[in-house]
Amino acid sequence: MLNINNLQVEVGGTPIIKGLTLQVPAGEVHAIMGPNGAGKSTLSYALTGRDGYEVVGGTATLNGEDLLALAPEERAAKGLFLSFQYPLEIPGVPTLTFLRTALNAQRKARGEGEISVPDFMKLSRDVAKRLGVTPEMMKRPLNVGFSGGEKKRMEIYQMALLDPRFMILDETDSGLDIDALKVVSEGVNALRGPDKGMLVITHYQRLLDHIKPDRVHVLAGGRIVDSGGPELALALEADGYDRYKDAA
Amino acid sequence: MALAELRLLAGEEALLNALPSTEAGQAAKAHLAAAGLPNRRVEAFKWTDVRAALADGIPEADGSAGLIPACLQDALVLDFAAEGFGLEGEKDQGLIIETEDSLELEGGGPLATLAAGFAPRAVVLRVTQSQSRPVVLRRHPGAPMRVRLELEAGSRLTLIDTGLATAGLSTGLLEIDIAEDAELVRYSLQNGGTGAIDLTHTAVTVADRGRYHAIALMFGGKLARAETQVVLAGEGASCLIHGAYLLSGSTHADMTTKVVHAGPNGQTRELFKGAVQDRARGVFQGKILVERAAQKTDARQNHHALMLSEGAEIDAKPELEIYADDVQCAHGNTIGALDDQALFYMRQRGIPEAQAKALLVEAFVTDVFDAIEHEGVRDWFSGLARSWLEASSS
Ligand SMILES: Nc1ncnc2c1ncn2[C@@H]1O[C@H](COP(=O)(O)OP(=O)(O)OP(=O)(O)O)[C@@H](O)[C@H]1O
Ligand SMILES: [Mg+2]
Repeated sequence: MLNINNLQVEVGGTPIIKGLTLQVPAGEVHAIMGPNGAGKSTLSYALTGRDGYEVVGGTATLNGEDLLALAPEERAAKGLFLSFQYPLEIPGVPTLTFLRTALNAQRKARGEGEISVPDFMKLSRDVAKRLGVTPEMMKRPLNVGFSGGEKKRMEIYQMALLDPRFMILDETDSGLDIDALKVVSEGVNALRGPDKGMLVITHYQRLLDHIKPDRVHVLAGGRIVDSGGPELALALEADGYDRYKDAA
Repeated sequence: MALAELRLLAGEEALLNALPSTEAGQAAKAHLAAAGLPNRRVEAFKWTDVRAALADGIPEADGSAGLIPACLQDALVLDFAAEGFGLEGEKDQGLIIETEDSLELEGGGPLATLAAGFAPRAVVLRVTQSQSRPVVLRRHPGAPMRVRLELEAGSRLTLIDTGLATAGLSTGLLEIDIAEDAELVRYSLQNGGTGAIDLTHTAVTVADRGRYHAIALMFGGKLARAETQVVLAGEGASCLIHGAYLLSGSTHADMTTKVVHAGPNGQTRELFKGAVQDRARGVFQGKILVERAAQKTDARQNHHALMLSEGAEIDAKPELEIYADDVQCAHGNTIGALDDQALFYMRQRGIPEAQAKALLVEAFVTDVFDAIEHEGVRDWFSGLARSWLEASSS
């Protein structure tokens, strides 16, 4: 599914990702952990095509298709979704308008017809109910004035509504209270499937208690320095990243 | 400096010759011969050089006066065409329409002088009781307009004025007198082609508790300038002036306003938003003057503009001048680009760049139209703004 090979990314001329190789097969959820500043968010921005995150080497493909040659919106239409570590506020654009525009743009890019307004309203209501998003939140301009936790919830709400094939969750757990973490995790788990993949970036085991990963990778100094099963996350929680200092 | 004779450009000469031999025409001629057309050396016109725009003479008029939208089908339409003045639609009681051949002009500056000079006569509208039927002033390409509007105490009128020439010199002078407790609600639309020079001057006086409420939308032209001067003369007089300018190609639009608080307890609300792309140029000059007598004035001015291309230009000059001591005045002025991070966020969700930009710009300007009370006009203006966004992002 997602295939990253020897990826190198520079930000403002500084190398941040320095030869990163990673495969996430369809149907699997992989976790990425790593110290602050390791390059986790940089990786997610490079994969989604943000300006200023310059890929200077390596490849990244989704289901065999070269991601790096595509515009951000084209990557999204291929089913790539990023739940942002810091979701943006979009003043003046009502959440529902935004989402309907996004959904229809993706459908159009895939050669599908627009979703009808009643169908969209039903879909958005159903998903909102599942994720504890209130009608009041959906009427407000996207994320404007939302609390940190509400913004994260909105990210997963958007994700559920757009139903992507490959999902990158960048610290979705940060800012969520215990109950919200549970609701959001359930929402994420519902999106798992045999033809889907997920990369879950987190600092904490407690998210991985809810969203059980197939593999755990350690990203330090711009490279994957260790990989293992779910037990690796527990070991990291106990010991920290000290032993990777030299590897990075 | 030697007292050299003012050398007029070809365009100025042409303008001199085009002015009619009416009293106002002669006054405009004398003014023009002495001072020339306003140009960038004149402080108030430093960003809007009328002389340069008319250097090659008066562009030939072209385009149409525009259709009256369905939402205004019940309106009384006053047409100002090159051939003269015409009326269309029904007139209700409490509205008196007369023409006046020689109406004096007090002050107003060069554009007022020019507009008065070109107008063969003034149309005088007297509102003696509230009008439910809106009045439309439709300026035709290349035509002058001069209107004097008097709202008697307690009366109310909705006024729409349009200037949609694709080419030519169109001028407008609107003198408005709002008596005690009267209210004028005005919606202005200017949309010009690259051959259109559109110059208007509005002078408003508001008496006790009177209200002037105006929302303008400009798409610019070769050169378009809308001047508004409001004197809140009475106690508790108020004005709301909103404006949006959406400019692309090589168009130019200028919104210049001056509000004078002369009486106490007055209120001003100004909100201007602009979005400028390609090599277009937007100009905002807004002055609020609070005289010593205008205690308890509450005035707010905001101008925010977006530069959508490298070659675009936005010039802004907000000014507050306050002589009273017990007042609340605030102003804000920003010029910036679209938020890159917001754009990326939207694109990550699958919205193509051009569409994302259009959504962001629409969201940015829309609060200017929120003050439009007439639902049909609000939809009309918002629709025009959306068409502009779609056209300019495709
Ligand atoms: N625009 C930028 N200019 C210069 N350096 C940058 C820029 N953006 C990120 N960096 C640097 O790149 C490195 C990786 O940042 P990144 O945000 O990817 O880390 P992270 O692993 O996501 O950290 P965290 O766990 O704190 O979220 C950091 O050292 C950061 O300072
Ligand atoms: Mg990060």
